[in-house]
Amino acid sequence: MIEVKNISKTYGKKDNVFKALTDISFSIPDGASVAILGKSGSGKSTLMHAMSGLDRPETGEIIIDGKNILTLKQKEVDKFRSSKMSFIFQSFFVQANESCYDNVSLPLEIANLSARTRRKKIEAALEAVELIDKMKSRARELSGGQKQRLAVARAIVNSPKILFADEPTGNLDSVTGEVVENLLFDYNKKNGVTLIIVTHDADLAKRCDIQINIKDGNIESIKRNK
Amino acid sequence: MKIRDITIRAGRSLKQAKARTLLTSFAIGVGAFTITLSLAAGVGGRAYTDQIVSANTNVNELSVTKAQPTKQKGPQKYSSSTSNISNPLFSAEPLTESDIAVIQKVDNVVSVSPNYNPQIKYITRAGQDKYVASISTFSKSVTLKYAAGSTSGDLSDNQIILTEQYVTALGFADNQDVIGKTVEIVADKLSAPILNPETKTFTYMVVAVSSKSGLAFRAQSSLLVSNSSAKNLYDYINFGTRGYGKFIVAAVQVNGEDKAQSVKDELKAKGYDAQTAADVLGVINTFINVLQGILLGFGALAILTSVFGIINTQYISVLERTQQIGLMKALGMSRRDVGRLFKLEAAWIGFLGGAIGSGLAVISGTIANPLISKALDLGDISLIVFTPINLIIVVIGLIVVSIMSGILPARKAAKLDPIEALRTE
Ligand SMILES: Nc1ncnc2c1ncn2[C@@H]1O[C@H](COP(=O)(O)OP(=O)(O)OP(=O)(O)O)[C@@H](O)[C@H]1O
Ligand SMILES: [Mg+2]
Repeated sequence: MIEVKNISKTYGKKDNVFKALTDISFSIPDGASVAILGKSGSGKSTLMHAMSGLDRPETGEIIIDGKNILTLKQKEVDKFRSSKMSFIFQSFFVQANESCYDNVSLPLEIANLSARTRRKKIEAALEAVELIDKMKSRARELSGGQKQRLAVARAIVNSPKILFADEPTGNLDSVTGEVVENLLFDYNKKNGVTLIIVTHDADLAKRCDIQINIKDGNIESIKRNK
Repeated sequence: MKIRDITIRAGRSLKQAKARTLLTSFAIGVGAFTITLSLAAGVGGRAYTDQIVSANTNVNELSVTKAQPTKQKGPQKYSSSTSNISNPLFSAEPLTESDIAVIQKVDNVVSVSPNYNPQIKYITRAGQDKYVASISTFSKSVTLKYAAGSTSGDLSDNQIILTEQYVTALGFADNQDVIGKTVEIVADKLSAPILNPETKTFTYMVVAVSSKSGLAFRAQSSLLVSNSSAKNLYDYINFGTRGYGKFIVAAVQVNGEDKAQSVKDELKAKGYDAQTAADVLGVINTFINVLQGILLGFGALAILTSVFGIINTQYISVLERTQQIGLMKALGMSRRDVGRLFKLEAAWIGFLGGAIGSGLAVISGTIANPLISKALDLGDISLIVFTPINLIIVVIGLIVVSIMSGILPARKAAKLDPIEALRTE
């Protein structure tokens, strides 16, 4: 269960203040798939950053598993993120010079796992995104779709509780985009992972259990599909 | 994150920037090269002087001079009692027979032998040419290398040790041929009137031929006779001159090594300067240490320069990899680990530089050693001696310096805001 309570975030100072988020509140049950929708500049990414503890909004609470992550120390937030969350970004952020194996290995290394326990998990994750045959290839040799699949492997390798995806299909054509979408939703269904997707693709949003529409830093509407 | 994993990642990202890493490492390598070589030269130099001194001096022996008046400005005023030996600028007050008698009476002194340096005219042998030669006193405590023959302990009064050069010059077939043969030494009596010169021929039997040794500096080119033979020659040549019976230095044998210091102190109280073998070694080693210090200074300067190189490279590296740093932080990598990643990268650069520099130093030192020994005629002695501990210290020292240089860039990386970092595309 993720509870977002009265989150406000402002950018800039004095003469140049800009309210990116105003008093946002909602809650997400465990294992749900959530779409955060809205126009460019509406505050979707800002909200996602706040929910994942990457950013610290001025007011409000983000309660995950009963803990307000905004009051945790930096170290604990890091640990929280490393053990419970993972990310997929619009522009992949895979390390071009590293092999696929090493790319996927990173979250496990951060989580302090030994090289031996890492191996199985990495292979399973690469298997899941059908990149096992590219294990030793460098990430720069991959196509855009393959890169995002690699990013998905990196995101699921440490069995997270919450998976954040900021416009995961934004840089992909519709066919490869759908492959990645399917991967995410399959993983969400099979493993009961909470999936939070930032998007402005209405079709993608329709596949989610919950759609949260953001407009100018405010919640415009919350739709729950059933 | 495990240090091992961070180290591997740090090494990997350096591999990506090969040229930059290597260039920065080379800068440190220059320092490592200089420092390694100067450390090795220091070790070799000290070992060499140690050998020289122990081969040419005796721990039971002091070399004694009269205490010289300190700080003398300008030439000394003449008085009938002052009797300088030769040089008016370097006026050394000599030891006289009465000084020798005083020294002889000091406790634990076994013998006093003034440094006779008989200035002979030439050496020859029947039917051969005449050659200039210098004569020194043979001392048991001096290590000699013999090309032929040998000595049983001391020389007796009619015996002489030749050097290899004189063997062929005096018409002998080979080194072995000389042993047991006689040579003649001809000397002038200096006090004889110019119009009525007096010369005398002294005959010696050759017992050994000394060969050149890298260690023996005293006996290198001198022919050696016993102390009393040297005194005989000296007496004949110098008797009746103004300098007769005056010596700059005398060798004092003491009764055991542990007595050397007490004898030295007592001589000092009586107005003499005494130097032990250890003193001589100390003086030479100070000289070597100063030279080594200068070299080390150049090395340190090179390293100081490379410190800025590392800081610069690492700053560029942080800037280039903001996006990667952002991702790592988003995935929950702690500030401390991000900082460590960059410090360990710097450590790798330091390690590479240290390894390259000291490696090249070892290679060039090993190549140069025989050349130096040949040029300086040292035989099989090495002047550049690498010790593993010094190599380890250099490499570890450079790793530490590099890590410290990497602190500022690493801090910048650790402080990076992941959101900002992930925005850069
Ligand atoms: N560091 C910042 N300083 C000032 N303003 C910022 C900063 N970050 C974001 N903003 C502003 O906050 C608003 C919300 O930004 P955000 O990135 O959340 O938008 P978004 O909904 O994700 O847009 P897009 O769909 O284009 O990614 C924007 O108007 C943006 O200009
Ligand atoms: Mg956005």
